[in-house]
Amino acid sequence: MSEVRYLKAVNQALYDAMEADDTVFVIGEDVGAAGGPFKATRGLLERFGPGRVYDAPIAEAVIAGVAVGAAMTGMRPVAEIMFMDFITLAMDQIVNQAAKARSMFGGQASLPLVIRAPHGGGLSAGPQHSQCLEAWFAHVPGLKVVCPANAADAYGLIRSAIDDPDPVIVVENKTLYAAKSELPDDPQAVPIGKATISRPGRDVTVVTYGAMVREALTAADQLTIEGVEIEVLDLRSIQPWDEAMVVSSLARTHRLVVAHEAVEAFGVGAEVVARMADIGFDELDAPIIRVGAPFAPSPFAKALEAAYRPDASDIVRAVRRTLA
Amino acid sequence: MGADVLMPQLVMPKLGLTMTEGVLLEWHVSAGDVFRAGDMLFVVETDKVANEIQADTDGIIDELLVEEGDIVPVGMPLATLKGGRVSELSEKVISTVEAAVSAVASEPRQFVKDSDSGRIVSTPLARKRAREMGVDLSRVAGSGPGGRIKVDDLGHLGDPIAQEMRRLPSEHGLQAQEIRPSAARLATARRVSAAKTNVPHFYITQDVEVSALQVFRATINERSPGIRISVTHLLIKALGVAMAELPTTNRIWVDDKILAFNQVDIGMVTETVDGLRVPIIRDAGRRTLEEVAIDARTLASRAQEDSLTQKEVGGGSVSISNVGMFGASSLTPIINPPQAMILGVGSEQALFRPDEAGHPFLHKEICLTLACDHRVHDGADAARLLARLARILKNPSVSM
Repeated sequence: MSEVRYLKAVNQALYDAMEADDTVFVIGEDVGAAGGPFKATRGLLERFGPGRVYDAPIAEAVIAGVAVGAAMTGMRPVAEIMFMDFITLAMDQIVNQAAKARSMFGGQASLPLVIRAPHGGGLSAGPQHSQCLEAWFAHVPGLKVVCPANAADAYGLIRSAIDDPDPVIVVENKTLYAAKSELPDDPQAVPIGKATISRPGRDVTVVTYGAMVREALTAADQLTIEGVEIEVLDLRSIQPWDEAMVVSSLARTHRLVVAHEAVEAFGVGAEVVARMADIGFDELDAPIIRVGAPFAPSPFAKALEAAYRPDASDIVRAVRRTLA
Repeated sequence: MGADVLMPQLVMPKLGLTMTEGVLLEWHVSAGDVFRAGDMLFVVETDKVANEIQADTDGIIDELLVEEGDIVPVGMPLATLKGGRVSELSEKVISTVEAAVSAVASEPRQFVKDSDSGRIVSTPLARKRAREMGVDLSRVAGSGPGGRIKVDDLGHLGDPIAQEMRRLPSEHGLQAQEIRPSAARLATARRVSAAKTNVPHFYITQDVEVSALQVFRATINERSPGIRISVTHLLIKALGVAMAELPTTNRIWVDDKILAFNQVDIGMVTETVDGLRVPIIRDAGRRTLEEVAIDARTLASRAQEDSLTQKEVGGGSVSISNVGMFGASSLTPIINPPQAMILGVGSEQALFRPDEAGHPFLHKEICLTLACDHRVHDGADAARLLARLARILKNPSVSM
């Protein structure tokens, strides 16, 4: 067990998957010679050569299209979209081709395709480089979406995504790349669709994922001083998501906050809340509260962006509201 | 909240500084009754004393909102009155309550039964629990925003253990009879639960040699046979002296503040047919042993007759509970809030202890267990007090 950067865990997952299976290859902008825009693919070109680490032109539709075609012919491509914001250009390949193939061909086609896409703000990168768009893909039948919050889950979910027979979008928060956390010496795959309790608590369940897990844990430290113990539940997988674990936590705490960095309106939180208002109705002892970014493009200015991004203090406020 | 926006109603009065709720023991009026100023309206039990509440003005009862035996928070409505204007009685009671409520909370508890729409605002969980319990939500006060009823507002009825207890007899085919507790039993149950939940207790125990005390007691009772000094009387007096000598032990914890008293008032836990009463012996440190004994006897018989007044039970920082007469060797008691200590007393035990030369020496000892509220007292304070008390009991003729 050692402390490694999140980025290192991503890199190791790709390396190990490519070692384990010759059909796995990497494609994306600057993933080869440059080692990746965030260095997630560093060293792969040197180890596996240009035939399996492919520097693509600046054309996201092509990257996705190549990946879809390769997957359909038995390869396991891992495509990288430099910023999740640019995935708009690949939407037809992902939504209309990758997601539909299995159903449209009567189960004869399987697309073991992974798309890695860094999301999130905090880098003063402006409205076209800071978005969290995971809800778009969670809304499309045929796609799976995961968003790991730490090194072990990043490793484990990428390995599961690559092994999965269907398209999986792996969303990585940019602010987590440099963060260190524990990675076992012999890291294991993490099943898609299983949440985890990052911190147990009796008073309020806070459902979250990605970089907001860290904020929720900070909020938990603040609230514990007030005698409030929140349970931080890290979804890890957004589609499918671990409804059973959320409702069982709600059945213990009877109060629910759902927090994500993405815009609050029409987001992942809305889905979680709607399901809990249905299957968890009789467990609720307070209104369910969402924490998310305001309905506005992410600002460029550092101070404005800080005000825009939800953080621990927003979670603390939401938790207090559920306890009113 | 102004009085003009309220429906005219009777509310649970605040009868003492630390009163937060009372048991509506008895109604003397019912729906439709016309009452005149001076008529007795209802009886409220608090601090184990029954208080008769009289009308200050004339009025007509519209509807009774609580049943006899219900526990009602201060300021909550007990009954609605007919007529559009707020009666003087309500105004008076409401103003007392408003002063009390504004001191503790910005958002006062509200009664959510809306006489116009009849809609009850509650959380889904509270509804489910109430349904399982057979609780009528229209009689529950909501503490959430806008008066929303939360599961906690169902009190002990929402307690899963209580639910389990209710299911037990039928599910397991057991023969059990459900008995509605008396108001006094219910009040005691609520008080001890709150005390054990909210007051961080710690306990300190010492065996005290009482041979000298027995001689002392026999001598006094021979000299003045009319008074009949008991062990309890001696303990009350001795504890009074010890606490007067260590004044920092005479304190209680209320709402994150410490209240320090300037005289030692000691509660005497008294068993009656109707449950426990705790009359208070005032100024036990300075008054003579004879005065303390006479006072204790009078209060004990008043407790038996259930005729204690509010003045005879409130206050004090400590009580004594003596179960020695039953042969129990010790008692670890629960503090009676807002008091901060209680002394449990066991029976006299004869036993051999080694003397200085190591030879067996016959001792007569009683076991004293002092339960303390750790918010206001630390272990060393308690140990010092118990040691002081032991010294007084060993040398009674010097100190009492």
